[in-house]
Amino acid sequence: MRLSRRIFGTAALSFPTWAYVLFFFILPVALVVWYSFGYKPDAFTTHAMDQLSFDRYAEVMQPTFLSTFLATLRISVVGTVLCLLIGVPFAYWLAVKVRPERRMLLLALVLVPFWTNFLVRTLGWQIILAPEGFLSGMLQSIGLLGGPLDILYTRTAVQIGVVYNYLPLMILPLFVAMDRAGATLREASRDLGAGRWRTLFQVTLPMAMPGIASGCLLVFIPLMGDYVTASVLGGAQGSMVGQLVASQFNTAQNWALGSAMAVVLIIFTLAAVALAAGLGLLARWAFQRYHRIDVTADDAPDSAGADVGGTAITTEGASR
Amino acid sequence: MSAPAHRRARGRDLPARLLGVWGVIVFAFLFLPILVIVMYSFNTGRLLAAWHGFGFDAYASALGNDVITGAVITSLQAALGTALLASALGTLGGIALARARPRALWAAALTFLLAFTLVTPEIVDGIALLPWFVTLGVDGGLAPFNNGMVRLVIAHTAISMATVTFVVRARLAGMDRRLEEAAADLYASPLQRFKDITLPLAWPGIAAGGLLAFTLSLDNTIVASFIQQPGYTPWPVYIFSMVRVSLRPEVAAISTVMLVLTLLALALVGYVLRRSGESAGGVVKTFTGG
Repeated sequence: MRLSRRIFGTAALSFPTWAYVLFFFILPVALVVWYSFGYKPDAFTTHAMDQLSFDRYAEVMQPTFLSTFLATLRISVVGTVLCLLIGVPFAYWLAVKVRPERRMLLLALVLVPFWTNFLVRTLGWQIILAPEGFLSGMLQSIGLLGGPLDILYTRTAVQIGVVYNYLPLMILPLFVAMDRAGATLREASRDLGAGRWRTLFQVTLPMAMPGIASGCLLVFIPLMGDYVTASVLGGAQGSMVGQLVASQFNTAQNWALGSAMAVVLIIFTLAAVALAAGLGLLARWAFQRYHRIDVTADDAPDSAGADVGGTAITTEGASR
Repeated sequence: MSAPAHRRARGRDLPARLLGVWGVIVFAFLFLPILVIVMYSFNTGRLLAAWHGFGFDAYASALGNDVITGAVITSLQAALGTALLASALGTLGGIALARARPRALWAAALTFLLAFTLVTPEIVDGIALLPWFVTLGVDGGLAPFNNGMVRLVIAHTAISMATVTFVVRARLAGMDRRLEEAAADLYASPLQRFKDITLPLAWPGIAAGGLLAFTLSLDNTIVASFIQQPGYTPWPVYIFSMVRVSLRPEVAAISTVMLVLTLLALALVGYVLRRSGESAGGVVKTFTGG
């Protein structure tokens, strides 16, 4: 009896949290999905729900909208990959090469841009990339540029901006994962005769895989919905889906179409994440198959069946 | 493939050096726009991006501008309200999740929903809450939902509550259950146990989570720009509206002041977490909300 009361008490403690999530997140988002089946009856009404249809989705699929969707997807994928390429060596350096007593300070420095106002950081890039700005002048004076820098208000500027804005979100989980791999494990691997590269590819990187996955998610998902960066740096050429959605609510006052766009955005995002996750699993499977052969070739046969996850490879690297 | 051992031990070989150079480059990249904003806050010209001369004019005129100070005050009030509401809800949720049985269905469902709020693009939160507030306040006649400050606090709590919940849960995950059981055996009432045992144990997580909610609210542009009401324009939304008109150095001046304040708040969070025995990695995980 006391047990049942305690369990009920624990769940009851979370009721306010439940209520809040349901009332101010689930219900509003459900309302958006509901609006997406409606239509805009006249210039003064935002939506009407007396005739339900998929017509708004058909509207979203028209070439003008679809091209922005695809451009957004491209900016997000390229941005995530660039963040990963910049972030992996950086996080590795921070977690492995930097002296431990300095590590906390450098880590705190990575947090500074992370917690500086997003919009203000983007404004910084607007100043840097301006045709009459100092970067432009510098590049011209050393002869790298013939005329003023011409990338502000283009897709390139948006790409630079998003890589900058989301890079800390990639670095931090990568660092946590590589830090967890630990100096002891790497030393063990080295003591047991594994070279530097072998330690990197068989101990540190496999241990960092969860960090890579969560870093990619943390960058890709908000990037798909970003519209601040594109509004500040993109101009007419570099617009993203977020701006389209926002303009339907702010200027066009067409909630039905805006809702449909938002739903398509969520579906696009989740589909891309699912696809990447599938590819990742496939890559891991292939990687393990390859290493299974590698392991059986020069090790005891009983270890062949043992490698189930990334950690199994690690133990092998360390135990040989 | 492997360098001689003595060189490797000193860590001064070529790959290590290249990594060090890369680290410096990335840090320069990370700090470039922030330094530019701080530098241009001393611009005496009329336009932010056009450098004119060095001076403190922007700081003086920003502090004398009622619209700007009003926006900053609105932001701070909303952030304070968000911190209080999100900490209260997040503390209850975090304690409940930390205490839940390993396979409790409600705990898994709540974790999933909260994680879902974390991965939802902010634009979706914004466009979802705008019609919702209109439905409740205008169509439903619930007047508080028409108040700009109430809207800001509710919306910012919705996006930051999950972070507080997870921070508190992480803080209590390693807690010794026997402390509560001992208190129960000694006839402490549930309320006493909560007040004297659980809360003191959870408080570093609550404080850190509350400060995180504060900064998240202060940073938020997208959701606030949708749900804002006249008279309650928060600071980032003010800047965003100025981007389309013309940016003046005042924006950089106030941003520099806010940056300094945010850094002080974060240093405080880091200090609290470190004092409560969190590892460096744990502090970072806390800051990223995971």
